[in-house]
Amino acid sequence: MPTVRLIGAEQAPLLARPFYANGDPGPIVASLAQVPELLDVAIPFIGTALGPSSISWRAKELVIVRTSALLECRYCVQTHTAVALDAGLSREEILALRGEAPIDSVFRDPRELALLGWVDAVANGRGAIPGHTTDAIHGLWDDHEVVELTMLVGATMMLNRFATALQLPVAEDTVHRLTEEDLL
Amino acid sequence: MSAIAEAVADGKLPGRVWMYADYHCNLACTYCLTESAPKSPHRVIGRERMLEIADEAAELGFTDLGVTGGEPFLLRWLPETLASMSERLPVLVLTNGTLFTRRLLASLAPLAHRDVAMQISLDRPDPDDNDEMRGKENFRKVVEAVPRLVDQGIEVRIATTVESIEDSELDRLCALHRELGIPDEDHIIRPIVRRGRAIDHDLGVVAQQIDVPAELTVTVDGAFWSPFGPTVHDGVVDTDLLITRTTRPLSTPANALLRLVGERPEGSDVSLNIR
Ligand code: SF4
Repeated sequence: MPTVRLIGAEQAPLLARPFYANGDPGPIVASLAQVPELLDVAIPFIGTALGPSSISWRAKELVIVRTSALLECRYCVQTHTAVALDAGLSREEILALRGEAPIDSVFRDPRELALLGWVDAVANGRGAIPGHTTDAIHGLWDDHEVVELTMLVGATMMLNRFATALQLPVAEDTVHRLTEEDLL
Repeated sequence: MSAIAEAVADGKLPGRVWMYADYHCNLACTYCLTESAPKSPHRVIGRERMLEIADEAAELGFTDLGVTGGEPFLLRWLPETLASMSERLPVLVLTNGTLFTRRLLASLAPLAHRDVAMQISLDRPDPDDNDEMRGKENFRKVVEAVPRLVDQGIEVRIATTVESIEDSELDRLCALHRELGIPDEDHIIRPIVRRGRAIDHDLGVVAQQIDVPAELTVTVDGAFWSPFGPTVHDGVVDTDLLITRTTRPLSTPANALLRLVGERPEGSDVSLNIR
């Protein structure tokens, strides 16, 4: 049971209505709709941070699934496991990102390893990022990419805590799909 | 000139800002939009806040204020507050007109010959028919109160809220309001809106955003598209006409309203004559 009332299409506030235009917008929108002016700016921001951009879809899902696993957000881990499959990640890669297998037993690409080291340091650490982690990502990713990926970690962490605190429910078809893939 | 002031001056945005003074009421009408009753949660917006809204509305370029509820005159401090608000902008206050005892009438002295008008509900020309939906003694109290208010130098309007009314019944109602000292131009007739308790009694017309004027309305729960917005059903405040939860500064919902008005087809609030 979610902690707050999720607003359905019939009660969607005026600024929220466009987000309901294509059917059920999901529980992040349905909860944020309680505060339409926040929804109005948060969803475009989340869409820009997590959606298509100059960074590959695969890299973005690596970041999102890994961050969500580190923050133990069931909603985001399950929802983005399904998205990661769509983005072409393998079952083994997803399990490693979720901490169910060692990262370096599955990932070999130095760019991806540097990125995952960065994600772990940003999402899981406290205080400054260790110098060797900064050096590793700097050598392999451009500044604008580091900025975007770091913001992506932050946006994901925000959503992780939001979805966990409010006990947002995972969509039934996602649960069904993950059950079939043995990835629930 | 602010964008709001310009939109009001151009007629793109209605000039009146409404506020819900409270949500409780001494009556419990069958068609009440807010499910108001004596024991409803009060949700009082507060005297200070009403004065602040009046100030902000005037600064932004709105031209009028409206106060509704619940029954606003259950709040003892209301007359003084209305008097202060009217120093900023003209005020229209909606009331059921049943609380005007000698004592309350005396407390209305500061409103005499001010820019404060009262809109009082009177639905039918016959006591029994009127009181069927509005409660016992409603008719008698209203017809007693109206001339007294008029005598005290307070502008009074009569609002008739009905599903339908026969011509002959309307003629008698109009004769009655004229007799009470209310001219025809101060009598408005409007449909019951199918929100709040009207849903449970299967009454009224469905009113959507497109059917009602975009009159900024502030309550303790946020800012709404119209005074028909912050209605209550099954004890929960409706959010389908919610604009923003933020009401301070008033420019936040006012600018959001202006944006929404820009997205709406022109002239779209005329169909139901809900005003
Ligand atoms: S319709 Fe007006 S008078 Fe009747 S219960 Fe509601 S608030 Fe009170």
